[in-house]
Amino acid sequence: MTVKIPLYGRIDSNNAAELERSIFSQLEGKHAASVILDAEQLRYISSAGLRVLLRVKKTHPDLTITGVSSDVYEILDMTGFTEMMNVEKAYRVVSIEGCEEIGRGANGTIYRIDKDNVVKVYKNADALADIQHEREVAKLALILGIPTAISYDVVKVGNSYGSVFELLNARSFSKILKSDPAKFDWCVSEFVQMLKRIHRTLVPKGKLPDMKEKALDWAMFLKGHLPEQAWNKLYALIDAVPTDDHMIHGDYHTKNLELQNDEVLIIDMDTLSVGHPIFELGSIYNSFVGFSEVDHEVILRFQGFDFETGKRFWRHSLAAYLGTNNELKLREVEDKARIIGYVRLIRRAIRRNGLENEMDRREIEHWTAELLTLLDTVDSLLFSGNEIEVEAIDENLPKVQAFIARHLAENGCPMKARMQIEVAAEEIFVNIAHYAYTPLSGSATVRVEFFENPMSVSITFMDHGIPYDPLAHREPDVALSAAEREIGGLGIFMTKKIMDDVAYEYRNGQNILTLKKNL
Amino acid sequence: MTIHQEKNGNALTVALEGRLDTMTAPELEETLKEALTGVEALTFDFEKLDYISSAGLRVLLAAQKTMNRQGTMKVTHVNEIISEIFDVTGFSDILTIE
Repeated sequence: MTVKIPLYGRIDSNNAAELERSIFSQLEGKHAASVILDAEQLRYISSAGLRVLLRVKKTHPDLTITGVSSDVYEILDMTGFTEMMNVEKAYRVVSIEGCEEIGRGANGTIYRIDKDNVVKVYKNADALADIQHEREVAKLALILGIPTAISYDVVKVGNSYGSVFELLNARSFSKILKSDPAKFDWCVSEFVQMLKRIHRTLVPKGKLPDMKEKALDWAMFLKGHLPEQAWNKLYALIDAVPTDDHMIHGDYHTKNLELQNDEVLIIDMDTLSVGHPIFELGSIYNSFVGFSEVDHEVILRFQGFDFETGKRFWRHSLAAYLGTNNELKLREVEDKARIIGYVRLIRRAIRRNGLENEMDRREIEHWTAELLTLLDTVDSLLFSGNEIEVEAIDENLPKVQAFIARHLAENGCPMKARMQIEVAAEEIFVNIAHYAYTPLSGSATVRVEFFENPMSVSITFMDHGIPYDPLAHREPDVALSAAEREIGGLGIFMTKKIMDDVAYEYRNGQNILTLKKNL
Repeated sequence: MTIHQEKNGNALTVALEGRLDTMTAPELEETLKEALTGVEALTFDFEKLDYISSAGLRVLLAAQKTMNRQGTMKVTHVNEIISEIFDVTGFSDILTIE
């Protein structure tokens, strides 16, 4: 049983005794009751009043004081009462009437409440736990190097809760795409850079939920909806995806990416998880294509731009993410992403009672048909990205060489260029292995990207070792005879000769060396 | 990489197969240290060598320096890609390539 008792105005030595009598008369015979003292109307409490609270606490240990104003909270905090009993602060009330909607995610909608601040209003009326969760994961992401915003206040918005963030002069990428189509390529590039940054981030074990488990749950939900054989295959496909401790955002689209001054921020962090990037690609596919496949108006309402733009954005982003324009390769990875995407869409629509509604029914039918077709042909959800991260030691050279060689072969790179790129890549990787972290060790990341007009490939090497520009070395004199020749600098010299461009920069604490070869 | 040696009096032929790179160059260096004693004519047969990096070039350069003191050295059956590496590094001028 819970007894709720309101407190009013000032409580001091003049009225404390009277209040005490009133409280205990209300609690008479209710020894085991939980007591909530509602302090919403309480302006001040003196030590006489605090003694009353202590006596109530003694007879009724399960005591909570709610709706505490900041003045009263300060008194309770200073006197140590916040440690002795549950004290809940009053939430500032914020109205979103007439406020611009700037973002929308799975669990809530984000509105701008003034020039510098936004509020995320949670759908779930009892969202305090969600808010706490989002604040914690956003903090974790920030510590791990992901630029994001962390809420500084919890407020009441109508019957819901909201969390307030500082977001100055920020514009979402959806808005930029809508109002400034010339920025399309720039948006794709920033969108993919942030995505890669997230996917490169290793999360300490147990800090974030595992997306694979969620995906298996979605699949379980479809048992009975799909023919048995198809369902078995679907479940096996998801189950075969290896666990992965790298971060995924879980709801990555252009409404959650904000440009604040010159900085790109990712917001709406409550779905942050760990897992294989295919799960992320599935959800990105949905945001830009899947959701709107039947009803093209959906994306216009949600993102503000049309279906064709969404589809183009997805395709360009996937190409940039995979570092290839090879249509076959893009299609292959897209098909894998669509399997994850459709499972999620079908489950969501069915759960929303979609079978009762004509449009939803048509969508469920469409997504199911697409899913079944894909299940006929796709035999694995795995794909290889265009980046590999290894410990920078000589022993990993064959691994790096094999990785580069596979990408070059897949993209039809001529034999001669392949060999030259291998030679150059060896020089750079071995350089990092020998010098970047000495005497400690560290990792190196190698990325392979293909470009058109002119057809070219770039291999980028990144390490967090000491800043070092290998290109700054003096070139060896290749005209000298064997007896006079010194060995040093030969590798870099050779690399410059056989590549079309070799560039070095030190950025964000990283040595970044890029080899370019025209094909 | 596999190293095949064939000794004929003072002449030694070293045939390499596979890749001469950072991982395999130390092995060749080690082999040559002993094998070159008393050799006056050294031949590298690159017919089955697919790949060479600067680590491999360094070993060739060291061998050339040794042979300058005690005899001759030549490299045979160089494929087009390795030949280009020799060209851009100036090794074509240092080594005797047949």
